[in-house]
Amino acid sequence: MTDERKTSWVLFGLVVIFTGLTAAFLENLWGRPAPLEAIPLVDRAFLDTATVRRSYADLIRAKEDLSDFDCYACHEKNKPPVLRYDAKQQLIVPPEHSDIVMGHGSHGRNNNCFNCHNETDLTTLQPRDGRVLKLENSTPLCGSCHGPTYRDWEMGIHGRTSGYWARNLGPIDRKNCVNCHNPHSPKFPGRQPAPGPHLLHPVVETGPNPSH
Amino acid sequence: MPDPSSEFRVNPPGVDRRSFLRTSAVLATGLAAVAASLRPLMDLEDYTTVERFLQKYYKELTPAEMDRVLQRIANEVEKQYGIRPHVRDLKPMDGVEFVYALNLTRCIGCRKCVHACVAENNQSRNPEIQYIRVLKMPHGTLDVEKAEHNYAPPQVPEPGYFYMPVQCQQCKNPPCVKVCPVHATWQEKDGITVIDYDWCIGCRYCEAACPYWARRFNFTQPSIPKERINPDMAYLGNRPRRQGVMEKCHFCIQRTRAGRYPACVEVCPAGARKFGNVLDPNSEVAQILRTKRVFIQLKEEMGTSPRFFYYFDV
Amino acid sequence: MRVIRDYGVFLQRCARIAFVGDWRYYAWMGALTVIVLLGLNAYAKQLVSGLISTGMSDQVSWGVYIANFTFLVGVAAAAVMMVIPVYIYDNEELHDLVIFGELLAVAAILMCLAFVTVDLGRPDRFWHLIPGIGQFNFPASMLSWDVLVLNGYLLLNLHICGYLLYCRYQGKKPAKWFYIPFVFVAIVWAVSIHTVTAFLYVGLGGRPFWNSSIVGPRFLASAFTAGPALIILALQVIRRITAYHITDKALLTLRAIVQVSMLINVFLLFNEVFKEFYSGNLHVVSSKYLFVGLHGHHALVPWIWTAITFNLIAMVLLVLPLSRSLKWLNLTCVLCIVGIWIEKGMGLVIPGFIPTPLGQIVEYTPSLNETLICLGIWAFGLLCYTIFLRMAVPIMQGRLSKANEGREIPGIEAAAQGAVDHA
Repeated sequence: MTDERKTSWVLFGLVVIFTGLTAAFLENLWGRPAPLEAIPLVDRAFLDTATVRRSYADLIRAKEDLSDFDCYACHEKNKPPVLRYDAKQQLIVPPEHSDIVMGHGSHGRNNNCFNCHNETDLTTLQPRDGRVLKLENSTPLCGSCHGPTYRDWEMGIHGRTSGYWARNLGPIDRKNCVNCHNPHSPKFPGRQPAPGPHLLHPVVETGPNPSH
Repeated sequence: MPDPSSEFRVNPPGVDRRSFLRTSAVLATGLAAVAASLRPLMDLEDYTTVERFLQKYYKELTPAEMDRVLQRIANEVEKQYGIRPHVRDLKPMDGVEFVYALNLTRCIGCRKCVHACVAENNQSRNPEIQYIRVLKMPHGTLDVEKAEHNYAPPQVPEPGYFYMPVQCQQCKNPPCVKVCPVHATWQEKDGITVIDYDWCIGCRYCEAACPYWARRFNFTQPSIPKERINPDMAYLGNRPRRQGVMEKCHFCIQRTRAGRYPACVEVCPAGARKFGNVLDPNSEVAQILRTKRVFIQLKEEMGTSPRFFYYFDV
Repeated sequence: MRVIRDYGVFLQRCARIAFVGDWRYYAWMGALTVIVLLGLNAYAKQLVSGLISTGMSDQVSWGVYIANFTFLVGVAAAAVMMVIPVYIYDNEELHDLVIFGELLAVAAILMCLAFVTVDLGRPDRFWHLIPGIGQFNFPASMLSWDVLVLNGYLLLNLHICGYLLYCRYQGKKPAKWFYIPFVFVAIVWAVSIHTVTAFLYVGLGGRPFWNSSIVGPRFLASAFTAGPALIILALQVIRRITAYHITDKALLTLRAIVQVSMLINVFLLFNEVFKEFYSGNLHVVSSKYLFVGLHGHHALVPWIWTAITFNLIAMVLLVLPLSRSLKWLNLTCVLCIVGIWIEKGMGLVIPGFIPTPLGQIVEYTPSLNETLICLGIWAFGLLCYTIFLRMAVPIMQGRLSKANEGREIPGIEAAAQGAVDHA
C-alpha cells in the first residue's frame, strides 16, 4: 500500500472514531457519579439541649403535679420514719418508695436516708451544719460533702453552662446538681451514642480489621 | 531509513478535491467530537454568576458592598430552601480572645456535640460533613493511632476508655493560614480562624497542612434538608457553602460574636465543654486555666499553640 | 512593522506544518486527540458533579493529579540537565539537542499547570492567585512560590527556544546576550522549581512522613534520573522518525547523568528507610503503611516494592557496561521512569495521608473519571511536544527557513506531485 493510501485509511479511520466518540459523549455512556449512600437524618433526640433529668425545682417552675412530694400525706408529723437494714447492712427501701434505687456511694457508704433528709421535717434537707434547706434548693447540701466539685460548680467549671458567655448581652443559664445527677444514685448515666461518621466513598470491608 | 520527503506530504487545498474532502471530514468530525465532549457542561447549574465571579475579598468589601453580598446570599438561600434567613457580618468584639477547654473526665462520647454542630452550622448531611470527630481512646495513652472512630456500643461511656472530641483548635500559629495561596483563611482578632467561602479556590493545601484533620472540603454540592436549615447565619460562619470550597469549625461565630455559647457547649449533656473569653479573669475558661494543673494541647510539639485545652480533673 | 509581519509569517508556517505529515503522524496525533477528548469529557463531568467524581476524600485529599504534577515538575527541571553539559562544560555533542530538552520542559510545565487546574475545587476563581489583582500569599505560602517559579520557568524556556529557533529560521546567528544569561538563569531556576515543589510537602509539620529534610534532595535525584531517561527515549524517537542527526555519544552522555542520579536516589532511599524504621518512634506509621501495610491495609505495598525493584535493577544495569548498548539502555530508561513515577506519585503523596493526623486509615483508589483526566493531560502533553518537534526539527534541519518563504517546503513538491500522479 502506498503511503498515500495509508494516509487515506488513517484519516478515514479517524473520521469514524470521531463520529463514534461524538455519539458516545452525547449518550453519556460512562463516568456518571455513583449514587450517594443513603445516610438517615439523625434522630432529633440527639440535638436536644434538655438536661438528663428534671429536678424538683423544674417541676415547681413548670407548675406540674407535685402530689408525689407531699410527704405528710402518708407520714405522720413529728414521727420520724424508721429505717430498716438487712443482714448485709444494705438499706431496705420501703415498697412505697420502690422507685428509689440507692446508689449514693459505693459499699453502701451513704445509705442512711437521714444523712440528707431531715427526719423531723421531711419536706426539708439537712446539711449537718445546722442549716435546713428546702427540697428545691438541694445544691448547697451536695456541696457540703462534695467541696471541690461545688467550688468548681460555683466557678462554672463543673456542670453545664449555656446561654450567654457575655454577661452584658444576656443571662448565663446554670444548671443545678440534681438537673444531671439523681441524688439517690448520682453517677452520671450512660446512654446510647449518636451515629458515627460515614465515609465519602464507602468501602466494602474485606479484611479482619475494619478501618478504625 | 525513511524517505525524508515523505513527512511533508501535503496537498495544497483546492488542488486535490479528494484531499480537501478528506481534510474537511476529519476537521468537521474532530470539532464535533470536541463540542460533544463538553456536553456534560449543559448540566452545570448555577456554577457562578458575574457578580459572584467578581466578588471582592472579604477584607476589601466596603460596608455597602457587604450589605449587597448579604442580601444576595439571603436571596439565594430563600430560593433554594424556602426560608428567608437572617444573614449578618459579625465583627469581633474588643478585649475578647476565645479559648476552649474540654474536660476529658466528663466526656462520655455520646456524639451529641457532633450532631448539634451539624444542625447549627448547616453542614451537608449527604455527603456527610462533620467538623467534630470524637475519638475513643484506651486509658493511658494520647496516641491517636490507637483511637477508634466508629465505635457504636449500646451504651457509652465504656469502661477502660476515655473520649476525646477533636475539632479545629483555632491555633495561635495556624499552619493552614500560612499555606493558603490566596489568603482565603486567616485568623481574626478574637482568635477564630475563619474562611471566606467565596474566595477559596479549593486547592486543599490547608487540609493537608492541618495537624488535627480539622478542615473539610465540599467534594460536591452539599445537601441540607430544608426542615433542618438554621436561618440565623453569618457570612464567615454557617451560611450554606458551595461545591469546591473548604469549611471547618469557627466556634459558632454567629453565636459567639453575639455573646452566646457555641452549639457544642450547649448540647453537651455532661458539661464537659467549656468556652469563653480567656481575657476575662472571671470566665469559666480563665478559671480552669488557673486552677487545673495539667493541660493537654494536642500535638503540642507542632508549635501550633492551639486554643483548645484538654484536661482531666478526677 | 516588518519585524512583526515576518514573525507572523513564521508563526503561520509553523502552525500549518503541525497539520501536515505522513500516515504515522496522523495516526499518532489522532490517537492522542481521542485520549485528550476522553479526558476533556471526564473533566466536564468533574466540573458538574465536583471532585466527588474522583477517589479523593477528606482523609486522602490529594491523589493522582498532584502525584502526576510532582513527577512532571521533576521532568521539567531535568531538561536543564542537558543545558549544564553544553553551556558549562562546552559539550558540543548536545548543543542542538538542548532545544529538544527545553521543548520537553515546556510540554511538561503545561502538563503541570493542567494537573493543578483540574485539581482545584473552584477553577473559576484562579484569578484570586494573580498578584496585585487577587490576594497572593507570597512569601508565606509555598504554593504561591510554585505559581511564580513554574510560570517563570515556562516563560524562560519559551523565550530561549523561541529565540533560538527563530534565529535559525532566519538564518541569523543568535545574539549571545539575548539568550545566554537566560540559559544560566534557567539552570538555577530548574533546580528551584523542583525544590519549591518539594518544600510544598516538607513545610507541613503536621505530616511527619513529609516533614523531613531528605525530601528535597530525593526529589532532585529522582528528577534527574527520570527526566534524562525520558529525553534519551525521546531523542531516539526523533532520530528514527525525522532522520535528525543525533549521535550515540550524546545519548551516552545523558546515560552518565542518569547513572549518577540513580545511584544517589537509591542511596537516599536507603537513608530514608533506615531513619524511619531503626529508631522505632511513632512517626513511622505512614512508612509502615507504605512498605509493609498497617492494620490490615496494604494497598500500596505491591506498588512500592515494584518501584524499588525497578530502581534497583535499573541501577545495576546503569553501572554495568551492558547498558551502553541501546537495547539495554532503553529497557533501563523505562525501568527508571516507571519506578520513579510510582515512587514519587503513589509512594510520596498517598502515604502522607495514611493514616490521617487523627489515626484513621482510609485508602485511596483513583476513579475512572480521574484516570481519564490524567490520561487526557498526558496525551495533551505528548500532543504539545509532538507539535513542538514538528515545528522545531525542520527549522533545525534548515528545511523550514526564511529562505524558502513563499515557496513550498522542499520535499513537499515531489511528494504532492507523486500523490496526484497516483490518484
